Amino acid sequence: MSALLSITGVSAGYGGADALDGVSLTVAAGETVALLGANGAGKSTLLKAVLGLVPARGELRFDGADLGGLATEARVRRGIGYVPEGRRVFPGMSVRDNLEVAGLAAARDRAEDVERVFALFPDLARKSRDSAWRLSGGQQQMLSLGRALMGRPRLLLLDEPSLGLSPKLADEVFAAIRHIAAAGTAVLLAEQSAARALSAAPRAVLLRLGRVVADGPVAALSEEAVRDAFFG
Amino acid sequence: MAALQLLVNGVALGAAYALVALGFVLVLNATAAVNFAQGDLVMAGGLLGVAAAPLIPLPGIVLLPVVLALMAALGLLLAVVAYLPLRNRPPVSVFISTIAVGIILQNGAAILFGPEPRAAPPLFGDDTLRLGGLALPEQSLAIIAVAALLIGAQQWVFGRTQLGRRLRATAQDPEMARACGVPVTAMILVTFAIGAACAGAAGLLLANRYFVTPTAGGDLILKAYIAVTVGGWGSVPGAVVGALLIALFEVGVSSVLSYPVALGALYATLLAILVLRPQGLFGEAVRRRG
Repeated sequence: MSALLSITGVSAGYGGADALDGVSLTVAAGETVALLGANGAGKSTLLKAVLGLVPARGELRFDGADLGGLATEARVRRGIGYVPEGRRVFPGMSVRDNLEVAGLAAARDRAEDVERVFALFPDLARKSRDSAWRLSGGQQQMLSLGRALMGRPRLLLLDEPSLGLSPKLADEVFAAIRHIAAAGTAVLLAEQSAARALSAAPRAVLLRLGRVVADGPVAALSEEAVRDAFFG
Repeated sequence: MAALQLLVNGVALGAAYALVALGFVLVLNATAAVNFAQGDLVMAGGLLGVAAAPLIPLPGIVLLPVVLALMAALGLLLAVVAYLPLRNRPPVSVFISTIAVGIILQNGAAILFGPEPRAAPPLFGDDTLRLGGLALPEQSLAIIAVAALLIGAQQWVFGRTQLGRRLRATAQDPEMARACGVPVTAMILVTFAIGAACAGAAGLLLANRYFVTPTAGGDLILKAYIAVTVGGWGSVPGAVVGALLIALFEVGVSSVLSYPVALGALYATLLAILVLRPQGLFGEAVRRRG
Protein backbone atom coordinates (compact mmCIF):
# COMPACT_ATOMS: atom_id res chain seq x y z
CA MET A 1 0.00 0.00 0.00
CA SER A 2 1.29 3.51 -0.76
CA ALA A 3 1.68 5.83 2.21
CA LEU A 4 -1.06 8.41 2.75
CA LEU A 5 0.89 9.95 5.62
CA SER A 6 4.67 9.75 5.66
CA ILE A 7 6.64 11.04 8.65
CA THR A 8 10.42 11.01 8.31
CA GLY A 9 12.88 12.06 11.02
CA VAL A 10 10.44 14.42 12.71
CA SER A 11 11.44 16.21 15.90
CA ALA A 12 9.09 18.60 17.65
CA GLY A 13 8.43 20.04 21.05
CA TYR A 14 7.55 23.01 23.16
CA GLY A 15 9.70 25.97 24.15
CA GLY A 16 12.95 24.51 22.83
CA ALA A 17 12.55 21.11 24.54
CA ASP A 18 11.93 18.28 22.06
CA ALA A 19 9.16 15.83 22.94
CA LEU A 20 9.78 13.94 19.66
CA ASP A 21 13.21 12.86 18.55
CA GLY A 22 13.55 11.83 14.91
CA VAL A 23 10.29 9.90 14.59
CA SER A 24 9.56 8.09 11.32
CA LEU A 25 6.42 6.18 10.45
CA THR A 26 3.86 5.81 7.68
CA VAL A 27 0.10 5.35 7.53
CA ALA A 28 -1.38 3.86 4.36
CA ALA A 29 -4.72 4.92 2.87
CA GLY A 30 -7.51 3.22 4.80
CA GLU A 31 -5.14 1.81 7.41
CA THR A 32 -5.67 2.07 11.19
CA VAL A 33 -2.49 2.45 13.22
CA ALA A 34 -2.36 2.56 17.02
CA LEU A 35 0.18 4.90 18.57
CA LEU A 36 1.03 3.56 22.00
CA GLY A 37 3.17 4.82 24.83
CA ALA A 38 3.17 6.12 28.36
CA ASN A 39 2.38 9.69 29.37
CA GLY A 40 5.04 11.95 27.89
CA ALA A 41 6.03 9.47 25.17
CA GLY A 42 5.21 12.06 22.52
CA LYS A 43 1.94 10.70 21.11
CA SER A 44 -0.04 13.94 21.35
CA THR A 45 2.93 15.97 20.13
CA LEU A 46 3.24 13.74 17.06
CA LEU A 47 -0.44 14.24 16.17
CA LYS A 48 -0.11 17.99 16.70
CA ALA A 49 3.04 18.07 14.55
CA VAL A 50 1.16 16.37 11.70
CA LEU A 51 -1.54 19.02 11.95
CA GLY A 52 0.94 21.89 12.32
CA LEU A 53 -0.17 22.82 15.83
CA VAL A 54 3.42 22.54 17.07
CA PRO A 55 6.48 23.48 14.99
CA ALA A 56 8.30 20.42 13.68
CA ARG A 57 11.58 19.64 11.94
CA GLY A 58 11.93 16.76 9.52
CA GLU A 59 9.66 15.72 6.66
CA LEU A 60 5.88 15.39 6.81
CA ARG A 61 4.11 14.33 3.59
CA PHE A 62 0.40 13.78 3.05
CA ASP A 63 -0.74 12.06 -0.12
CA GLY A 64 2.72 12.74 -1.55
CA ALA A 65 2.65 16.49 -0.91
CA ASP A 66 4.98 18.19 1.56
CA LEU A 67 3.07 19.62 4.53
CA GLY A 68 5.98 21.81 5.61
CA GLY A 69 5.03 25.49 5.66
CA LEU A 70 1.29 24.76 5.37
CA ALA A 71 -0.98 26.34 8.00
CA THR A 72 -3.10 24.02 10.13
CA GLU A 73 -6.31 24.99 8.36
CA ALA A 74 -4.73 24.22 4.98
CA ARG A 75 -3.71 20.75 6.23
CA VAL A 76 -7.29 20.14 7.40
CA ARG A 77 -8.58 21.21 3.99
CA ARG A 78 -6.29 18.62 2.37
CA GLY A 79 -8.11 15.88 4.27
CA ILE A 80 -6.72 15.55 7.79
CA GLY A 81 -9.24 15.44 10.64
CA TYR A 82 -8.33 15.83 14.30
CA VAL A 83 -10.00 14.77 17.53
CA PRO A 84 -8.04 16.36 20.39
CA GLU A 85 -7.42 15.05 23.85
CA GLY A 86 -10.12 16.43 26.16
CA ARG A 87 -12.68 16.84 23.33
CA ARG A 88 -12.46 20.63 23.15
CA VAL A 89 -15.89 21.17 21.69
CA PHE A 90 -16.96 24.81 21.29
CA PRO A 91 -18.93 25.02 24.55
CA GLY A 92 -21.09 28.05 23.80
CA MET A 93 -22.22 26.76 20.41
CA SER A 94 -25.04 24.30 19.76
CA VAL A 95 -24.32 20.71 18.79
CA ARG A 96 -25.38 21.42 15.20
CA ASP A 97 -23.24 24.56 14.99
CA ASN A 98 -20.24 22.63 16.37
CA LEU A 99 -20.65 20.26 13.45
CA GLU A 100 -21.47 22.84 10.79
CA VAL A 101 -18.50 25.06 11.63
CA ALA A 102 -16.14 22.23 10.72
CA GLY A 103 -17.89 21.56 7.42
CA LEU A 104 -15.81 22.52 4.44
CA ALA A 105 -18.42 21.72 1.77
CA ALA A 106 -21.17 23.96 0.38
CA ALA A 107 -24.25 24.51 2.57
CA ARG A 108 -26.41 21.72 1.09
CA ASP A 109 -23.63 19.10 1.25
CA ARG A 110 -22.77 20.31 4.72
CA ALA A 111 -26.34 19.63 5.86
CA GLU A 112 -26.08 16.10 4.46
CA ASP A 113 -22.80 15.60 6.30
CA VAL A 114 -24.49 16.69 9.55
CA GLU A 115 -27.23 14.12 8.96
CA ARG A 116 -24.58 11.43 8.38
CA VAL A 117 -22.99 12.30 11.73
CA PHE A 118 -26.41 12.21 13.40
CA ALA A 119 -27.02 8.76 11.89
CA LEU A 120 -23.72 7.58 13.40
CA PHE A 121 -24.44 9.23 16.78
CA PRO A 122 -28.24 9.40 17.33
CA ASP A 123 -27.68 10.97 20.79
CA LEU A 124 -26.32 14.07 19.06
CA ALA A 125 -29.37 14.31 16.80
CA ARG A 126 -31.61 14.38 19.86
CA LYS A 127 -29.55 17.21 21.36
CA SER A 128 -28.78 19.11 18.18
CA ARG A 129 -30.02 22.44 19.59
CA ASP A 130 -28.40 22.10 23.01
CA SER A 131 -25.24 24.03 23.81
CA ALA A 132 -22.24 21.71 23.73
CA TRP A 133 -21.36 22.42 27.36
CA ARG A 134 -24.60 20.71 28.38
CA LEU A 135 -23.50 17.36 26.92
CA SER A 136 -22.04 14.52 28.97
CA GLY A 137 -18.38 13.60 28.50
CA GLY A 138 -19.28 10.72 26.22
CA GLN A 139 -21.58 12.86 24.10
CA GLN A 140 -18.89 15.54 23.85
CA GLN A 141 -16.45 12.87 22.63
CA MET A 142 -18.98 11.81 19.99
CA LEU A 143 -19.41 15.46 19.01
CA SER A 144 -15.66 15.92 18.74
CA LEU A 145 -15.45 12.81 16.56
CA GLY A 146 -18.42 13.89 14.45
CA ARG A 147 -16.94 17.36 14.06
CA ALA A 148 -13.72 15.87 12.70
CA LEU A 149 -15.75 13.88 10.16
CA MET A 150 -17.41 17.05 8.83
CA GLY A 151 -14.28 17.88 6.83
CA ARG A 152 -14.59 14.49 5.04
CA PRO A 153 -11.08 13.50 6.12
CA ARG A 154 -9.00 10.81 4.47
CA LEU A 155 -6.89 10.59 7.62
CA LEU A 156 -8.25 10.94 11.15
CA LEU A 157 -5.92 11.77 14.04
CA LEU A 158 -7.43 10.64 17.33
CA ASP A 159 -5.87 11.69 20.63
CA GLU A 160 -6.92 9.62 23.64
CA PRO A 161 -10.56 9.15 22.59
CA SER A 162 -11.39 6.98 25.62
CA LEU A 163 -9.85 9.30 28.21
CA GLY A 164 -12.26 10.09 31.04
CA LEU A 165 -15.06 7.91 29.68
CA SER A 166 -16.79 5.02 31.41
CA PRO A 167 -15.99 1.60 29.90
CA LYS A 168 -19.44 1.48 28.29
CA LEU A 169 -19.06 4.90 26.65
CA ALA A 170 -15.50 4.10 25.60
CA ASP A 171 -16.84 0.93 23.92
CA GLU A 172 -19.39 3.04 22.03
CA VAL A 173 -16.72 5.49 20.90
CA PHE A 174 -14.46 2.68 19.73
CA ALA A 175 -17.34 1.04 17.89
CA ALA A 176 -17.76 4.32 16.01
CA ILE A 177 -14.02 4.47 15.28
CA ARG A 178 -14.15 0.94 13.82
CA HIS A 179 -17.14 1.99 11.71
CA ILE A 180 -15.26 5.04 10.41
CA ALA A 181 -12.17 2.95 9.65
CA ALA A 182 -14.25 0.30 7.91
CA ALA A 183 -15.66 3.03 5.63
CA GLY A 184 -12.13 3.64 4.36
CA THR A 185 -10.79 6.52 6.45
CA ALA A 186 -7.22 6.03 7.63
CA VAL A 187 -6.84 6.41 11.40
CA LEU A 188 -3.81 7.25 13.54
CA LEU A 189 -4.97 6.50 17.06
CA ALA A 190 -3.02 7.69 20.11
CA GLU A 191 -4.29 5.85 23.16
CA GLN A 192 -3.10 4.97 26.64
CA SER A 193 -5.41 2.00 26.90
CA ALA A 194 -3.29 -0.49 24.96
CA ALA A 195 -5.89 -3.26 25.03
CA ARG A 196 -8.55 -1.01 23.55
CA ALA A 197 -6.24 0.48 20.90
CA LEU A 198 -4.91 -2.92 19.83
CA SER A 199 -8.47 -4.20 19.46
CA ALA A 200 -9.16 -1.48 16.89
CA ALA A 201 -5.86 -1.42 14.96
CA PRO A 202 -4.08 -4.20 13.10
CA ARG A 203 -0.77 -2.32 13.35
CA ALA A 204 0.87 -0.45 16.23
CA VAL A 205 3.74 1.97 16.69
CA LEU A 206 5.28 2.09 20.16
CA LEU A 207 6.77 5.38 21.33
CA ARG A 208 9.07 5.83 24.28
CA LEU A 209 10.55 9.18 25.31
CA GLY A 210 9.87 10.63 21.87
CA ARG A 211 11.35 7.76 19.85
CA VAL A 212 9.82 4.85 17.95
CA VAL A 213 10.81 1.66 19.73
CA ALA A 214 8.67 -0.78 17.76
CA ASP A 215 6.49 -0.67 14.65
CA GLY A 216 4.64 -3.62 13.20
CA PRO A 217 1.53 -5.77 13.04
CA VAL A 218 -0.14 -6.15 16.41
CA ALA A 219 0.19 -9.93 16.21
CA ALA A 220 3.96 -9.61 15.83
CA LEU A 221 4.46 -7.22 18.77
CA SER A 222 5.70 -8.95 21.87
CA GLU A 223 3.97 -8.35 25.17
CA GLU A 224 7.38 -7.34 26.49
CA ALA A 225 7.80 -4.59 23.88
CA VAL A 226 4.40 -3.13 24.76
CA ARG A 227 5.19 -3.30 28.47
CA ASP A 228 8.56 -1.62 27.87
CA ALA A 229 6.90 1.23 25.95
CA PHE A 230 4.67 1.95 28.91
CA PHE A 231 6.89 1.19 31.87
CA GLY A 232 10.46 1.40 30.50
CA MET B 1 -44.49 61.10 31.70
CA ALA B 2 -41.11 62.54 32.71
CA ALA B 3 -39.87 59.03 33.47
CA LEU B 4 -41.00 57.85 30.04
CA GLN B 5 -39.19 60.78 28.44
CA LEU B 6 -36.02 59.89 30.33
CA LEU B 7 -36.43 56.28 29.27
CA VAL B 8 -36.51 57.24 25.57
CA ASN B 9 -33.46 59.47 25.98
CA GLY B 10 -31.64 56.79 27.96
CA VAL B 11 -32.43 54.04 25.47
CA ALA B 12 -31.26 56.22 22.56
CA LEU B 13 -27.95 56.92 24.29
CA GLY B 14 -27.70 53.30 25.41
CA ALA B 15 -28.30 52.04 21.88
CA ALA B 16 -25.27 53.98 20.65
CA TYR B 17 -23.19 52.85 23.65
CA ALA B 18 -24.28 49.31 22.89
CA LEU B 19 -22.71 49.51 19.44
CA VAL B 20 -19.45 50.75 20.99
CA ALA B 21 -19.47 47.96 23.59
CA LEU B 22 -20.44 45.36 20.98
CA GLY B 23 -17.44 46.16 18.79
CA PHE B 24 -15.22 46.18 21.86
CA VAL B 25 -16.38 42.78 23.14
CA LEU B 26 -16.24 41.10 19.70
CA VAL B 27 -12.56 42.00 19.35
CA LEU B 28 -11.94 41.06 22.98
CA ASN B 29 -13.43 37.60 22.43
CA ALA B 30 -11.67 36.93 19.14
CA THR B 31 -8.23 38.05 20.26
CA ALA B 32 -8.27 38.15 24.08
CA ALA B 33 -6.92 41.66 23.57
CA VAL B 34 -8.42 44.88 24.89
CA ASN B 35 -8.70 47.34 22.02
CA PHE B 36 -8.12 50.67 23.72
CA ALA B 37 -8.58 52.47 20.40
CA GLN B 38 -12.30 51.59 20.31
CA GLY B 39 -13.37 54.97 21.74
CA ASP B 40 -11.19 56.83 19.25
CA LEU B 41 -12.71 54.76 16.44
CA VAL B 42 -16.12 56.09 17.57
CA MET B 43 -14.72 59.61 17.33
CA ALA B 44 -13.28 58.81 13.89
CA GLY B 45 -16.69 57.58 12.71
CA GLY B 46 -18.34 60.77 13.93
CA LEU B 47 -15.78 62.98 12.21
CA LEU B 48 -16.04 60.91 9.02
CA GLY B 49 -19.73 61.76 9.07
CA VAL B 50 -18.90 65.42 9.62
CA ALA B 51 -16.39 65.39 6.73
CA ALA B 52 -18.63 63.46 4.33
CA ALA B 53 -21.76 65.53 4.96
CA PRO B 54 -20.83 68.45 2.64
CA LEU B 55 -19.77 65.98 -0.08
CA ILE B 56 -23.02 64.00 0.13
CA PRO B 57 -25.76 66.59 0.82
CA LEU B 58 -28.36 63.98 1.71
CA PRO B 59 -29.83 62.78 5.04
CA GLY B 60 -27.31 61.22 7.41
CA ILE B 61 -28.72 57.75 6.86
CA VAL B 62 -27.14 57.79 3.38
CA LEU B 63 -23.78 58.39 5.07
CA LEU B 64 -24.18 55.31 7.25
CA PRO B 65 -23.05 52.69 4.68
CA VAL B 66 -20.16 54.97 3.66
CA VAL B 67 -19.03 55.32 7.29
CA LEU B 68 -19.49 51.59 7.90
CA ALA B 69 -17.32 50.69 4.88
CA LEU B 70 -14.57 53.21 5.63
CA MET B 71 -14.47 52.28 9.30
CA ALA B 72 -14.34 48.56 8.46
CA ALA B 73 -11.29 49.35 6.31
CA LEU B 74 -9.78 51.30 9.21
CA GLY B 75 -10.44 48.28 11.46
CA LEU B 76 -8.55 46.04 9.03
CA LEU B 77 -5.66 48.50 9.05
CA LEU B 78 -5.71 48.55 12.86
CA ALA B 79 -5.52 44.74 12.95
CA VAL B 80 -2.70 44.58 10.42
CA VAL B 81 -0.63 47.33 12.05
CA ALA B 82 -1.37 47.04 15.77
CA TYR B 83 -2.51 43.47 16.42
CA LEU B 84 -1.18 40.84 14.02
CA PRO B 85 2.53 41.68 14.39
CA LEU B 86 2.15 41.52 18.19
CA ARG B 87 -0.30 38.64 18.61
CA ASN B 88 2.33 36.25 19.99
CA ARG B 89 3.83 38.81 22.36
CA PRO B 90 2.58 39.41 25.93
CA PRO B 91 -0.94 40.96 25.96
CA VAL B 92 0.44 44.27 27.24
CA SER B 93 2.04 44.80 23.81
CA VAL B 94 -1.39 44.93 22.15
CA PHE B 95 -2.76 47.16 24.93
CA ILE B 96 0.03 49.65 24.25
CA SER B 97 -0.20 49.40 20.47
CA THR B 98 -3.96 50.10 20.50
CA ILE B 99 -3.43 53.01 22.90
CA ALA B 100 -0.83 54.33 20.44
CA VAL B 101 -3.28 53.98 17.54
CA GLY B 102 -5.88 55.85 19.59
CA ILE B 103 -3.46 58.72 20.25
CA ILE B 104 -2.55 58.85 16.56
CA LEU B 105 -6.26 59.04 15.66
CA GLN B 106 -6.84 61.79 18.25
CA ASN B 107 -3.95 63.89 17.03
CA GLY B 108 -4.77 63.26 13.38
CA ALA B 109 -8.33 64.41 14.04
CA ALA B 110 -7.11 67.50 15.92
CA ILE B 111 -4.88 68.45 12.97
CA LEU B 112 -7.61 67.87 10.36
CA PHE B 113 -10.66 69.19 12.22
CA GLY B 114 -9.39 71.34 15.09
CA PRO B 115 -10.51 70.98 18.71
CA GLU B 116 -14.01 72.49 18.35
CA PRO B 117 -17.07 70.27 18.84
CA ARG B 118 -18.71 69.38 15.55
CA ALA B 119 -22.06 67.89 14.64
CA ALA B 120 -22.84 65.29 11.99
CA PRO B 121 -26.12 65.63 10.09
CA PRO B 122 -29.21 63.96 11.59
CA LEU B 123 -30.02 60.54 10.19
CA PHE B 124 -33.45 61.58 8.87
CA GLY B 125 -34.37 64.98 10.27
CA ASP B 126 -34.06 67.07 13.41
CA ASP B 127 -37.74 67.59 14.14
CA THR B 128 -39.37 66.48 17.36
CA LEU B 129 -42.48 64.33 17.31
CA ARG B 130 -45.12 65.01 19.96
CA LEU B 131 -46.95 62.03 21.39
CA GLY B 132 -49.24 63.05 24.22
CA GLY B 133 -46.93 64.93 26.54
CA LEU B 134 -43.92 63.07 25.21
CA ALA B 135 -41.32 64.85 23.05
CA LEU B 136 -39.60 62.33 20.76
CA PRO B 137 -36.66 63.77 18.81
CA GLU B 138 -36.49 62.07 15.41
CA GLN B 139 -32.76 61.60 15.86
CA SER B 140 -33.28 59.67 19.12
CA LEU B 141 -35.77 57.36 17.43
CA ALA B 142 -33.43 56.96 14.46
CA ILE B 143 -30.52 56.09 16.78
CA ILE B 144 -32.62 53.40 18.48
CA ALA B 145 -33.85 51.98 15.15
CA VAL B 146 -30.45 51.98 13.42
CA ALA B 147 -28.63 50.53 16.44
CA ALA B 148 -31.29 47.84 16.83
CA LEU B 149 -30.99 47.02 13.12
CA LEU B 150 -27.20 46.79 13.25
CA ILE B 151 -27.17 44.73 16.46
CA GLY B 152 -29.88 42.49 14.98
CA ALA B 153 -27.82 42.06 11.80
CA GLN B 154 -24.76 41.17 13.88
CA GLN B 155 -26.80 38.61 15.84
CA TRP B 156 -28.15 37.11 12.60
CA VAL B 157 -24.71 36.83 11.01
CA PHE B 158 -23.20 35.30 14.16
CA GLY B 159 -26.13 32.97 14.81
CA ARG B 160 -27.22 31.84 11.38
CA THR B 161 -24.32 31.95 8.93
CA GLN B 162 -21.16 29.92 8.42
CA LEU B 163 -19.13 33.13 8.74
CA GLY B 164 -20.75 33.72 12.14
CA ARG B 165 -20.04 30.16 13.28
CA ARG B 166 -16.43 30.58 12.27
CA LEU B 167 -16.19 33.91 14.09
CA ARG B 168 -17.68 32.35 17.24
CA ALA B 169 -15.42 29.29 17.03
CA THR B 170 -12.41 31.58 16.66
CA ALA B 171 -13.52 33.51 19.73
CA GLN B 172 -14.05 30.35 21.81
CA ASP B 173 -10.96 28.31 20.92
CA PRO B 174 -8.74 29.63 18.11
CA GLU B 175 -6.45 26.60 18.03
CA MET B 176 -9.36 24.19 17.76
CA ALA B 177 -10.99 26.43 15.18
CA ARG B 178 -7.82 26.07 13.08
CA ALA B 179 -8.00 22.32 13.54
CA CYS B 180 -11.53 22.48 12.10
CA GLY B 181 -10.27 24.24 8.98
CA VAL B 182 -11.30 27.74 10.02
CA PRO B 183 -8.99 30.46 8.63
CA VAL B 184 -8.48 32.06 12.03
CA THR B 185 -6.36 35.02 10.92
CA ALA B 186 -8.99 36.00 8.36
CA MET B 187 -11.67 35.70 11.04
CA ILE B 188 -9.69 38.00 13.34
CA LEU B 189 -9.42 40.55 10.51
CA VAL B 190 -13.18 40.34 9.93
CA THR B 191 -13.78 40.81 13.66
CA PHE B 192 -11.65 43.96 13.75
CA ALA B 193 -13.54 45.24 10.69
CA ILE B 194 -16.92 44.58 12.34
CA GLY B 195 -15.72 46.10 15.64
CA ALA B 196 -14.54 49.28 13.93
CA ALA B 197 -17.70 49.49 11.80
CA CYS B 198 -19.81 49.27 14.98
CA ALA B 199 -17.71 52.05 16.52
CA GLY B 200 -18.06 54.15 13.37
CA ALA B 201 -21.83 53.70 13.31
CA ALA B 202 -22.01 54.73 16.98
CA GLY B 203 -19.88 57.78 16.18
CA LEU B 204 -22.21 58.86 13.38
CA LEU B 205 -25.28 58.28 15.56
CA LEU B 206 -23.87 60.21 18.54
CA ALA B 207 -22.23 63.05 16.61
CA ASN B 208 -25.50 64.80 15.87
CA ARG B 209 -27.04 65.09 19.35
CA TYR B 210 -23.87 64.96 21.45
CA PHE B 211 -21.30 66.50 19.07
CA VAL B 212 -17.82 65.10 18.49
CA THR B 213 -14.35 66.34 19.38
CA PRO B 214 -10.97 64.69 18.77
CA THR B 215 -10.71 63.70 22.45
CA ALA B 216 -14.28 62.35 22.80
CA GLY B 217 -13.08 58.74 22.52
CA GLY B 218 -11.51 58.64 25.99
CA ASP B 219 -14.89 58.82 27.70
CA LEU B 220 -16.45 56.31 25.31
CA ILE B 221 -13.81 53.59 25.77
CA LEU B 222 -14.41 53.84 29.52
CA LYS B 223 -18.15 53.46 28.93
CA ALA B 224 -17.54 50.40 26.75
CA TYR B 225 -15.22 48.95 29.37
CA ILE B 226 -17.82 49.53 32.09
CA ALA B 227 -20.59 48.04 29.94
CA VAL B 228 -18.55 44.88 29.33
CA THR B 229 -17.61 44.65 33.02
CA VAL B 230 -21.21 45.15 34.14
CA GLY B 231 -22.54 42.69 31.55
CA GLY B 232 -19.91 40.03 32.21
CA TRP B 233 -16.44 40.07 30.67
CA GLY B 234 -16.74 38.53 27.22
CA SER B 235 -20.52 38.22 27.11
CA VAL B 236 -21.99 39.74 23.91
CA PRO B 237 -25.58 40.10 25.20
CA GLY B 238 -24.12 41.27 28.51
CA ALA B 239 -22.21 44.07 26.75
CA VAL B 240 -25.38 45.29 25.03
CA VAL B 241 -27.47 45.13 28.21
CA GLY B 242 -24.63 46.70 30.22
CA ALA B 243 -24.45 49.60 27.75
CA LEU B 244 -28.20 50.19 28.01
CA LEU B 245 -28.04 50.07 31.80
CA ILE B 246 -25.22 52.58 32.12
CA ALA B 247 -26.93 54.98 29.70
CA LEU B 248 -30.20 54.76 31.63
CA PHE B 249 -28.27 55.27 34.86
CA GLU B 250 -26.40 58.25 33.41
CA VAL B 251 -29.54 59.91 32.03
CA GLY B 252 -31.61 59.18 35.15
CA VAL B 253 -29.08 60.43 37.70
CA SER B 254 -28.16 63.45 35.52
CA SER B 255 -31.78 64.53 35.41
CA VAL B 256 -32.20 64.36 39.19
CA LEU B 257 -28.75 65.56 40.24
CA SER B 258 -26.13 66.47 37.63
CA TYR B 259 -23.93 64.86 34.95
CA PRO B 260 -20.74 64.97 37.09
CA VAL B 261 -22.62 63.30 39.94
CA ALA B 262 -23.96 60.69 37.48
CA LEU B 263 -20.44 59.93 36.27
CA GLY B 264 -19.10 59.70 39.82
CA ALA B 265 -21.96 57.40 40.82
CA LEU B 266 -21.37 55.30 37.69
CA TYR B 267 -17.73 54.68 38.57
CA ALA B 268 -18.67 54.00 42.21
CA THR B 269 -21.20 51.43 40.98
CA LEU B 270 -18.50 49.91 38.77
CA LEU B 271 -16.24 49.53 41.80
CA ALA B 272 -19.08 47.96 43.77
CA ILE B 273 -19.77 45.46 40.96
CA LEU B 274 -16.09 44.58 40.71
CA VAL B 275 -16.00 43.87 44.43
CA LEU B 276 -19.42 42.26 44.94
CA ARG B 277 -20.06 40.53 41.61
CA PRO B 278 -16.83 40.48 39.61
CA GLN B 279 -18.32 38.11 37.03
CA GLY B 280 -20.88 40.80 36.05
CA LEU B 281 -24.57 40.27 35.44
CA PHE B 282 -24.01 37.61 32.77
CA GLY B 283 -20.96 36.10 34.44
CA GLU B 284 -22.33 32.59 34.53
CA ALA B 285 -22.49 32.50 30.75
CA VAL B 286 -18.90 33.68 30.60
CA ARG B 287 -17.75 30.87 32.86
CA ARG B 288 -19.40 28.33 30.60
CA ARG B 289 -17.56 29.68 27.59
CA GLY B 290 -14.33 28.41 29.09
